[in-house]
Amino acid sequence: MSDPNNQKQIIVARNVDKRFGSFYALRGVSATFFEGQVTAIVGPSGSGKSTFLRTLNRLETHDGGEIIVDGIELNDDIQHLDAIRREVGMVFQSFNLFSHLTILRNITLAPMRVRKMRRDEAEAKALALLDRVGLKNQAHKYPVQLSGGQQQRVAIARALAMDPKVLLFDEPTSALDPEMVNEVLTVMRELAHTGITMLVVTHEMGFAREVADRVIFFDEGTILEDTTPHAFFTNPDHERAQAFLSQVRHGF
Amino acid sequence: MNWTKRYPGWTMFGSMVGLLFFLWGVAIPLSAAPDPIGPAAQQFAEGTRITVWLTVISGSAGVVLGVIAGMGKLSKFLPLRWLCDFYVWLIRGTPLLLQILFVWLALPSILPEGVVLSDFACAAIALALNVGAYNTECVRAGILAVPHGQIEAARALGLTPLQGFVDVVLPQSLRVALPALANNLASLVKDSSLAYVISVVELTMVGYRVQAESYQPVPVFLTIGVIYLILTTAFTTLTAALETRLEVGQKR
Ligand SMILES: Nc1ncnc2c1ncn2[C@@H]1O[C@H](COP(=O)(O)OP(=O)(O)OP(=O)(O)O)[C@@H](O)[C@H]1O
Ligand SMILES: [Mg+2]
Repeated sequence: MSDPNNQKQIIVARNVDKRFGSFYALRGVSATFFEGQVTAIVGPSGSGKSTFLRTLNRLETHDGGEIIVDGIELNDDIQHLDAIRREVGMVFQSFNLFSHLTILRNITLAPMRVRKMRRDEAEAKALALLDRVGLKNQAHKYPVQLSGGQQQRVAIARALAMDPKVLLFDEPTSALDPEMVNEVLTVMRELAHTGITMLVVTHEMGFAREVADRVIFFDEGTILEDTTPHAFFTNPDHERAQAFLSQVRHGF
Repeated sequence: MNWTKRYPGWTMFGSMVGLLFFLWGVAIPLSAAPDPIGPAAQQFAEGTRITVWLTVISGSAGVVLGVIAGMGKLSKFLPLRWLCDFYVWLIRGTPLLLQILFVWLALPSILPEGVVLSDFACAAIALALNVGAYNTECVRAGILAVPHGQIEAARALGLTPLQGFVDVVLPQSLRVALPALANNLASLVKDSSLAYVISVVELTMVGYRVQAESYQPVPVFLTIGVIYLILTTAFTTLTAALETRLEVGQKR
């Protein structure tokens, strides 16, 4: 794990609760994330991983506790929310590219609308980002014309176009055919070395082990383990984590 | 109609030009026709122009009304939702003829003094209100058809709710709603004939007058029928081409 002492805190979650009706999806979740850190979030289905990620950019509102992103508290204040959404990008399991726009327009839309960037500037930037994810010659196609792996790489480029400090990934490879998983993981691996803060909900244990600085294990809406990949994969403290790991290993 | 799919731009341009040409040129071939038609060619041409104007004006206003009321029906603000529900319920539950008569006879007594509406304006208002109510349902269904992930992606990129609506939701929902909207527009061409009861000299009124003078209803009403057919075909072709254009990105 990166040394917290000489790094800046970028996301602080304190005692975060989230309820759906009377059901607690998150209860008392606390975690601090530091700039440049790559965190893998793992855990069984329904344990609250997505919910936690989605509270961090307020796609879900939290019911208790506090969340502070880059020094700004996440609450009903619209200006706070706008500021935070500009700092935090998100990549979804189902890509969610805008189906009516070309790849290029998908990437330039937010910089032009939110950052008020000029079109030519935004397009130059988009093309550079597409080059980075290996898709420069697809700029004028529509999302449906691309494979799942290509769409997910575009979605990453789209998020990067806003120059976020933090990127949230919610199972970015789970909807992909197996042969396309690697092309997306490769892009994410390269990103991890650029110093951007990444929170990655994933079932790819290989990726978590190899690329992450830190592993968080969720179970029933709480964080059970928060440790280094090495410690998590060799000797987890909790039985639930051991059971989860053996299940995952048997799955492969 | 395969060529409308292959060359949507040209089809659109072609049917536009065709429509205009037909509008201004219909008097020329008609004036060469034998008796009850030939002498009345100018009247037929004028009636056609009025019918097209009525359709285009009330059709455009109807789309705007449909979008506003369709959004209103999905608003979180309860009174607005009630208002839009009431509007659709009222219009769809009463005859168009009554609505036209109401705008023509009853509205002037409600309006402040000094506001004088022409017969044409009364017909246009009634038709726009009518088609707007039918459009409302189509637009609402279109908005509901946009996957929630599209809205989440827009929010996560920092677009405001309004920007998300204008740039993402509206274009995608209109694409879904377009066939139904086109259908309503084609009906409007025909429904506009009801304007004759409030003495708007549109196509049907012209036919009625010419046959009353010539005592030859068969050739007169046949001619009118053919003109309506040409108009509805032109409108349908136009919207089919528009549909194809908006479909890009939907198909592989
Ligand atoms: N919108 C919602 N309404 C009601 N319950 C919800 C909602 N979203 C999530 N939940 C519930 O909250 C719990 C946590 O869900 P969450 O999606 O965060 O799990 P997860 O850890 O991401 O699981 P998975 O690995 O299957 O994606 C689940 O029991 C889920 O059923
Ligand atoms: Mg999930």
